[in-house]
Amino acid sequence: MRRPPHPLLLLGALLWSLLPLLWQLLTSLRTPEALVAPTPAAWLSGWTLANYRQVLLGQPPFWRYLLNSALVGGASTGLTLALAIPAAYGLQQQGLRLQRLITLLLLAAAKFPYVLLFLALLELARALGWGNQLLALAVPYAGLSLPLAVLLLRAALADLPPDLEDAARLEGLNLGQRLRRVLLPLLAPAIASTAILVFLFSWNEYPIALTWISRAELLTLPTAMARIAGSSVYAVPYGAYAAATVLGSLPLLALVLLFQRQIVSGLTQGSVRG
Amino acid sequence: METRRPQAGEADAAMSGLELQRLCRHQAGRALLEDLSLQVAPGEVLALLGPSGCGKTTTLRLLAGLDPVSSGRILLNGREITAEPAGARQVAMVFQSYALYPHLTVVGNLELGLEVRGMPAAQRRDRIAAVIDLLQLQGLELRRPAQLSGGQRQRVALARALLRQPQLMLLDEPMSNLDAQLRDALRPELRQLLRGSGHPAIYVTHDQQEALGLADRIAVLHQGRLQQLGTPHALYHDPANLFVASFLGRPAINLLAAEAGRQLALRPEHLQLVSQGGLPVQLRQREWLGAQQLLWLESSRGPLKLLCGADQTLEEPLEVSWRVDRELWFDASSGERCRLGPL
Amino acid sequence: MSLLLLAPALLLVGVVFLWPLLRYAWLSGHAASVLTGLVPLANGGANWQRLLSDGRFWQDTLQTLRFAGVSLSLELLLGLALALLLHQPLRQRGAVRAAVLLPWALPTTVMALGWRWLLNDPYGPLNRLIQGLGGSPYGFLSTPATTWLFTVLADVWKSTPFVALLLLAGLQTIPPELEEALLLEGAGPLQRLWRLTLPLLAPYLLLAALFRLAQALGVFDLIQVLTGGGPASSTESLGLYAYLNGMRFLDFGYSATVMLGMFLLVLLLTSGLLLLRRGWQGTLR
Repeated sequence: MRRPPHPLLLLGALLWSLLPLLWQLLTSLRTPEALVAPTPAAWLSGWTLANYRQVLLGQPPFWRYLLNSALVGGASTGLTLALAIPAAYGLQQQGLRLQRLITLLLLAAAKFPYVLLFLALLELARALGWGNQLLALAVPYAGLSLPLAVLLLRAALADLPPDLEDAARLEGLNLGQRLRRVLLPLLAPAIASTAILVFLFSWNEYPIALTWISRAELLTLPTAMARIAGSSVYAVPYGAYAAATVLGSLPLLALVLLFQRQIVSGLTQGSVRG
Repeated sequence: METRRPQAGEADAAMSGLELQRLCRHQAGRALLEDLSLQVAPGEVLALLGPSGCGKTTTLRLLAGLDPVSSGRILLNGREITAEPAGARQVAMVFQSYALYPHLTVVGNLELGLEVRGMPAAQRRDRIAAVIDLLQLQGLELRRPAQLSGGQRQRVALARALLRQPQLMLLDEPMSNLDAQLRDALRPELRQLLRGSGHPAIYVTHDQQEALGLADRIAVLHQGRLQQLGTPHALYHDPANLFVASFLGRPAINLLAAEAGRQLALRPEHLQLVSQGGLPVQLRQREWLGAQQLLWLESSRGPLKLLCGADQTLEEPLEVSWRVDRELWFDASSGERCRLGPL
Repeated sequence: MSLLLLAPALLLVGVVFLWPLLRYAWLSGHAASVLTGLVPLANGGANWQRLLSDGRFWQDTLQTLRFAGVSLSLELLLGLALALLLHQPLRQRGAVRAAVLLPWALPTTVMALGWRWLLNDPYGPLNRLIQGLGGSPYGFLSTPATTWLFTVLADVWKSTPFVALLLLAGLQTIPPELEEALLLEGAGPLQRLWRLTLPLLAPYLLLAALFRLAQALGVFDLIQVLTGGGPASSTESLGLYAYLNGMRFLDFGYSATVMLGMFLLVLLLTSGLLLLRRGWQGTLR
């Protein structure tokens, strides 16, 4: 009885989501003169790739920020999974009361507006000498991602038939073998969901990267972009900026297209099942 | 078995089968199993029978080493295994859900256990080929569990259990997920396999038909306690208490109103219709069962069911009688059997 | 053994979430600013007294509440509409979902700068459009009375996909037979929405509200990059104020106090929502 939606409604939703991004794409291809041209007539001329050239040949070049973000994202994802998988398994083994308590705390942490934490984390970074250490960012990022990651993985573990692990125990598989040979392959979809969400979080994180990293060549993408804007509050070089936005969005576009299923299931499972 | 050959003088112990001594399991202040003692001989199939929550699956999990024993001992061929970890016991189990690894093929499922034990590849291949032969799984080797039918999955689960050449075989309602026809077809096959293994087997079920048809002996459990242990015939005709009497047999046994603290129970097929000198009854309903018919009767001593031939004719007035040696008397308050007969 | 598996993760979570709160509680009783060379000196309740009489803190509190309340409401409404839309049978479901999801996946700072260009006075496309229609350009980001509306717009644009997907998951748990039964009884689409879909979706709406409320109250990136809190602090949020106190005015003691104040606010409002949820669940049973 459900009918396809009216095409105009669908088009409206897509335009609402994509138009601001498409405008960035358009902007990135225009000369500065064309962007501030007074008359519509001038809008049709002034196409250029100069903005991309400027961004990519900048000092440091733009791909450096992408690389930094990817490195931090990869390290945080790895660290988070390495801690979250055993933790989810361990949590599943606890008594019911303790399990409920820990789940509740993790849920509260997952909802926490983490911008509140930056000052104390900055102090910590200073005390440990972790300022301007790119990969050190993975530690707070993993800490911030862990509540959601553990909740997600535990929900997936709880969905596995308990007989499977019993059968493996009976066949003489020890804990490590059971995890590696039986549980992890079956958890693969949930692990993929978790990994992509953690990666996206690290890629996008702002306040901590802002306060921990000051050296230009170590900036992650969000902080680098904000710095471009902050350096000239009244006259942001919008063409170059738009080019940077497009370049910075492409990896995410690819991730979202490739993993939209995992992202959606992670997002909804993480909040609904916790 | 291949790991160790019994030495002279040890032969008795090596082949003594399974022995449970006063086995108990308590959890969170609740007794799941109380004081279970029994023995299962090599090659014998023992069925654990009872309603859900009676302790039969608990017993199986204790034997497998999946749950810890609260008190008591488990001896397998003379060797105490009470505290041994599950993987070290040489005990195999077929789960109700089959517990096949969904991400592995049939061969992968069979191989995993052997592989982690460090068995060389060539030997693994031979063993797997043999068991695939035995259970007629040829052609299914590279399928995943999701691509198998219920009966095929059950065979794979059985193959995985047999493959390890266990000294004790545990089966947890292995046929409950199959349709009735398939169950009827598999029962004799399974029976033959279990007998042929030469090791004790324990078969958990809540289906009395299956227990009666498959087992050498049946242990009836209720609320964590053993009610009666014996051959199917003994349990049916000589029940130790009211629970066993009413749990076994379908249609269920007739319970007549208690008199003087004692209760009379009669199986529906042991009642006969007579023209006079019996207990007067009125017919309430007639149910055709094919070869037989079931009469629902009302009498001064309560409702009665009577099983008789399909061509039996009914003539008013109806009266019912039975042979005195068919009477089963129970203490009305304890439910225990009274051996004295009628007062 | 199993506690051992759990311990490293719990430890890190504790350091990241719990330690800061304890540290702030301690710092809020100390003066730790440029004046003390950032060395903490106990100053009794001075920070808290200052907080209570700090007009900017209370103004920011109101502004944060306004921002969170309005954007949360809009996100729930639009998210519900979007979820209902996506719940219909679609061709290219995956591509549509990815397109809808994209605003959520982009870094806040990146898209905040994008919005700055879209709202630019006078060269942004919106002002070009206004001019094309014969109007005069509007200072979207320089008019104190209305600028906050555009911070809400940017937040709604980014966060609605999250709400929509959560609600979509909720919609998918409603068995279609229920709606069919109501349809057979002659209920129209609005009646079906109001009498069946919304009540069954209520737990998901509350869940989405709970998640989004805490995040909206903590808004920081968006404001910092889109408006910098301006014009004239009219869009400044508590998160930004705490950041400025710490990083620009280098007053860690007071920054910590502001953050604790903000924490209490979040705690109060989310537990209010939770109580609401409990009460609501109580009536269902």
